[in-house]
Amino acid sequence: MAEGSFSCLVVEDSPMMRQLLVFALARIKRIQVTEAEDGVDALRKLATNRYDLIMSDINMPIMDGLKLVKRIRSDANHASTPIIIITTEGSTEDRQRAMALGANAYITKPIQAPQVIQKVKELLKIP
Amino acid sequence: MADDDRAHRTSDAPADLKEEREAFVRQFLRRGFELTEDVLAENRALRDQLVRAQEDNARLRAALASSDAIRDLIRKIETLETERTELVSQTSTLAEASRRSEERTSEIEQELHDLANLYIASSHLHATLSVRGVVRHMRELLQQLLGAEQYAIFVLRDTDRAVVLTGEGVDESTVVVVGEGPIGTAIATGRSRVVEGPPQPPGSLDSPLAVIPMRVRERVLGAIVVCSVFEQKERWAAVDHELLDLMGAQAGIALVSARLFAGVSDARTLLSGLDALLAAPSAPSVVPPPMDPHAQER
Repeated sequence: MAEGSFSCLVVEDSPMMRQLLVFALARIKRIQVTEAEDGVDALRKLATNRYDLIMSDINMPIMDGLKLVKRIRSDANHASTPIIIITTEGSTEDRQRAMALGANAYITKPIQAPQVIQKVKELLKIP
Repeated sequence: MADDDRAHRTSDAPADLKEEREAFVRQFLRRGFELTEDVLAENRALRDQLVRAQEDNARLRAALASSDAIRDLIRKIETLETERTELVSQTSTLAEASRRSEERTSEIEQELHDLANLYIASSHLHATLSVRGVVRHMRELLQQLLGAEQYAIFVLRDTDRAVVLTGEGVDESTVVVVGEGPIGTAIATGRSRVVEGPPQPPGSLDSPLAVIPMRVRERVLGAIVVCSVFEQKERWAAVDHELLDLMGAQAGIALVSARLFAGVSDARTLLSGLDALLAAPSAPSVVPPPMDPHAQER
């Protein structure tokens, strides 16, 4: 990976949403994006790679985003990796659950690219 | 002879004249001394006066120079104040230009994002040739891009009735009569109906927030109905209208294409048939059969 660049793992079961997120992240220079189709695919990738940021949907088959966050936080290599949760639910309860499990930020659908970019830049401390 | 005379006459002067002469000389010398003293005193006085005058002169020159310096400083201050005012004005102009530039950049970024949404929506609608796949993509578009919480996709059955092909949070056994109610009217007229302003409170099938007829050319095949949106969605955005229009124009075509492909028993036969069709001088128009929500997927 190039000097000064950041790696981001996007975990989303919907190809359409993955494409939207990848497009939004492409607006940030120095970001390299890896895609995962679900929580199991994400864990497989996390076992062999280190990421600077993880973005994950909550409602996914096999392993939902909250379980994935819990597994990530129990991994010493990613215990402090920033995590952004993406969900259609706007309720305070889901937000609090995600934050209690270790997520750092929360974005609700329908996503807005400027909102995604702002959150990512905040967590990666990109000006 | 004269000198001798003068010497003789001097020594012959009476004593009182000698005294008088000496007195006169003494007086003369005294007066000369006094005069000299006076002159010296006057000289000292004049020297003192000169020194004082020189000191005054120096003081006045210094004061004058100081005044000039102050005047110069004042002039410089005025010049700097003028420059400062100009710089503040230029800074204000630059700040305004920078702000407009940032606003324009944000607008362009938003337009790019909206265009990406529309591109992704269109490409995913036509990315599959299965009816189920098209329906799945339509549901994703409505939920993920539009933020629809309760919605239904109606398709025509028997030209005068429309039934639910798929829905979320609605009664899927609902049947709409063409020409009746907002959904039936939209299907009959081919005109969209979108409730403007904040898309809250939630609507219903009787009073939906948006009804978009699905068209293939001039034929209306059904309608996309949005009853409510997620609570965090405060209002329709410009891209939402564009997305609804796109779905109205493209979803019908995608469904028809998938339905036609599903009806073909042999894909290779279809593709070779397409070659023949393209080679023909004028291709015949294809009238698709009515949509059956329970049609088997290929």
